[in-house]
Amino acid sequence: MADDMASRYQMMEELGSGSFGTVYKAIDKANGEIVAIKHIDLESSEDDIQEIQQEISVLATCASAFVTQYKASFLKGHKLWIVMEYLGGGSCLDLLKPGVFNEAHVSIVCQQLLQGLDYLHSEGKIHRDVKAANVLLSNTGKVKLADFGVAAQLVNIKSQRNTFVGTPFWMAPEVIQQAGYDFKADIWSLGITAIEMINGEPPHASTHPMKVLFLIPKNPAPRLEGPEYSSTFKDFIAQCLTKDPERRPSAKELLKHKFIRNAGKTEALQELIQRKQEWDGCRGISKDVKYYAETLKSISKPSVEDEDEWVFDTVKAPTMRTPSKNPSMWVPNGTDWTTLDEDDESPDPSQLMEDMHISQLPKPPKHQANSTVRRTSGFERSPSIRRANTKRRSSGVKQPLGLDLSFGNSPSTVRQFRRVSDRVPSEAVPPRSSHGLDENTSPKVITGDSTSKEAQLGRRAYSKAIGMSCQEVLSTTGDGEKREAISRLAEAWSDLEMVDPEGLYHIIRVMNERLQADSRLSALQPDSPSRPRLVLAQNNPHLKSHRRRQSTTEPPPQSPLSNLPGQQVSGMEHTKQLSDVLYQRWAEGLRNRWGF
Amino acid sequence: MAFFFNRGRSRSPADVVRSTKDLLLRAQETPSTPKADEELAKQLGQMKVIVQGTQDQHLPEQVYALIQATLQEDLLYDLSRSIHLLPFEARKDTQTIFSHILRFRPSSYAPDKDPPVISYIVHHRPEILVELCRGYSHSQSAMPCGVILREALKFDVVTAVVLYDQSHEGEPAGRLSDLKPNAPQNGEGVFWKFFEWIDKGNFEVSADAFTTFREILTRHKSIVTAYLASNFELFFGRFNNILVQSNSYVTKRQSIKLLGEILLDRANYNVMMAYVERGENLKLCMKLLRDDRKMVQYEGFHVFKVFVANPNKSVAVQRILINNRDRLLRFLPKFLEDRTDDDQFTDEKSFLVRQIELLPKEPVDRSRPSRDAQSGVNTAAVA
Repeated sequence: MADDMASRYQMMEELGSGSFGTVYKAIDKANGEIVAIKHIDLESSEDDIQEIQQEISVLATCASAFVTQYKASFLKGHKLWIVMEYLGGGSCLDLLKPGVFNEAHVSIVCQQLLQGLDYLHSEGKIHRDVKAANVLLSNTGKVKLADFGVAAQLVNIKSQRNTFVGTPFWMAPEVIQQAGYDFKADIWSLGITAIEMINGEPPHASTHPMKVLFLIPKNPAPRLEGPEYSSTFKDFIAQCLTKDPERRPSAKELLKHKFIRNAGKTEALQELIQRKQEWDGCRGISKDVKYYAETLKSISKPSVEDEDEWVFDTVKAPTMRTPSKNPSMWVPNGTDWTTLDEDDESPDPSQLMEDMHISQLPKPPKHQANSTVRRTSGFERSPSIRRANTKRRSSGVKQPLGLDLSFGNSPSTVRQFRRVSDRVPSEAVPPRSSHGLDENTSPKVITGDSTSKEAQLGRRAYSKAIGMSCQEVLSTTGDGEKREAISRLAEAWSDLEMVDPEGLYHIIRVMNERLQADSRLSALQPDSPSRPRLVLAQNNPHLKSHRRRQSTTEPPPQSPLSNLPGQQVSGMEHTKQLSDVLYQRWAEGLRNRWGF
Repeated sequence: MAFFFNRGRSRSPADVVRSTKDLLLRAQETPSTPKADEELAKQLGQMKVIVQGTQDQHLPEQVYALIQATLQEDLLYDLSRSIHLLPFEARKDTQTIFSHILRFRPSSYAPDKDPPVISYIVHHRPEILVELCRGYSHSQSAMPCGVILREALKFDVVTAVVLYDQSHEGEPAGRLSDLKPNAPQNGEGVFWKFFEWIDKGNFEVSADAFTTFREILTRHKSIVTAYLASNFELFFGRFNNILVQSNSYVTKRQSIKLLGEILLDRANYNVMMAYVERGENLKLCMKLLRDDRKMVQYEGFHVFKVFVANPNKSVAVQRILINNRDRLLRFLPKFLEDRTDDDQFTDEKSFLVRQIELLPKEPVDRSRPSRDAQSGVNTAAVA
């Protein structure tokens, strides 16, 4: 039955992906409608499937023109497919890439968002993660709230939540303080989003998100300042960013605000979409389109040697699904147990044909002159945090919820799907801040100076070692999830090689040094290469960034596997820190509540 | 002076209930028209506003009047069986109305007493609960019915009614006072339908039905323990066959996890002991360890460990483990070995390896003398 559902859709290109799965564009064959389908691999999700179901039930009970419409969900093998309305205009965060919005645009978006929030709030739902990245536009400029990864359903209209979810920069003070919060938390986030749209980034964007968690409750609420903004706009922001949630107006009240009442028509937002398209066009961004291809299940099937099957008594058993009063009848005999649950994900040839990457084309530079966010190294728009229980009980009795707030690829934390254009593969690239100058120059220049010795070595390292090792490991890895991770890493390396071979070289070099510096890891290495050491210029940005990282965290000695470059270079140590702090905060909250 | 300010919608709660009832009865008989739907949605919307109150006003006496009228007109019953006929928003409103009415306690009510409507339903109108369960037969009503049911299942009396009902469609359901806790079930009551809804329903229905099923089985332990003891064969027969071996990944994984939770619950000690002495159950678990999906293997491990850790293993269980000792000792060290950060799992795994190493060469019957004959029969049947 599930397969029937899946075959209803003609899968098309990938729209975006997160640690949690991938979103594809698809066509509903029944009516030709374009939809977005989120594929969630449940095998990679350790947390309770029930939480995902919860998310679906929140989605399924929403029907509003201001909220992305849920259509259906079903299982295909161990993947959950969630069919949603397709919105072609992209997210507000995408649309901010060419430049900030003007006041008129912001007021339209806010007006639409307020209607969406008013709907959700009247339904007893809190979104909990309002930010530009979660605001989607249709091609015609319609504005819709998306991503209910962390939305909560309140049972009682007056009840409050105590969970700590959201994304630091956009979080309301009462959420951070875990004082118990309600709908008003979304209004704060809306105010932050308005600032984000007019400034290109939320307040404190250049601060480490960990620190932001302390700043938001401590500092006075952010304000919009400067003569270039109208006083009604400033007042709107001030209203949204009222620290006391009691005094913060509701969505309904804000809809009567002058700034909102004077908002124009949504069609005006088409300008933003057009601007983005032109901007993409100018930058030669022909999307690196990835098509959906069904995975070959056979790879992950364990090779079962017959001799290793369990030996059970050879009782003749009828088919195993026949209910029977006699318990000994339930058991299939030893030979047919492998036939359980055939997923039969055999590839559809037509789809495989479509699986052609346009990778022959020179890849566009992924570093975008992005005036929107000054990011701290590697920390790219912190993914939403959500509570999740990770470690399971051993005794079956539920222990107090464990928490895994580690970011990145941990499946349980992030339920956010970045849109492709936002998914800058620079995640595996040295901090972008170090490219400050290069970014604003034309793409040619980036590669133009990469003829240095380091760059050549970097290219060589890639072609001789990295690419092949990735291939090699990939070919010996059966598990689908791992394969995906490895190929992502390989892709990241390849991007890096193209954009910054010099940086690649330095990563390898530093990695090598560190491996050798560690007494246990160095044993793994073959004879240390007695290459002459290159002396680096003191102002080498890569060196600096490495120093900076080294000074912030001393990576703990780990197994060589978990110390692979992907981790080192991505700057994930920051998020690790953040997660530690969040964990502590959470644990404290828990202790208070449980009276430990 | 509420009536004065509410001129626009000044109808009394009783009026609203009555017109809702009329519209519902009509909807059950004739195919819906947009106009009838709209009218019904309007009435339910009004009821919702009354029970829920608004941000600034909440009138308990209005709610009380509404509840009285609801019981008088037997509206909850009609609502419970026609949720699938209602339009989208009206279904959600019905869910809200139901939940509020079930929870309602007059201020004079002792807090440890069940809310009045709950008591009324289990003693006089258990059909409402049965109809709510049957909401899983329609995908439109599955989720709202599920939410209402789980609200009601917070009370043990409701759990008892749902577990013990044996009525057929159209028959009166069992009142709380008629229930016979120790009589074995015929497996046709509404609780047993959950296996079907979970197994056959589409994903949304199946997942919600499972959530409710889980709630029934884990919330009120003493009722469930007694129930499982008197219906052991029937229950685990279906559980093993329909749920653990389901073709749906989610059902399979969730039910193995639930199985572990049920078995490892202290209250269910006797149930656990009975479960882990069956060789058949062990075989099922060992097959889960070899499933080709990691999380199924992992969930299976947490049931498998109970068999091995049990100090008084039955002869049947010992025999299977002994026959597979070498295979298990080869298999376990490599089993899910990438879970390196899961210390507990690693510890448990090495504990199991140790236990298997320590198994005697031949099964030893260490069970109590009175059990001897019984397990002997089991083993004979298996061999």
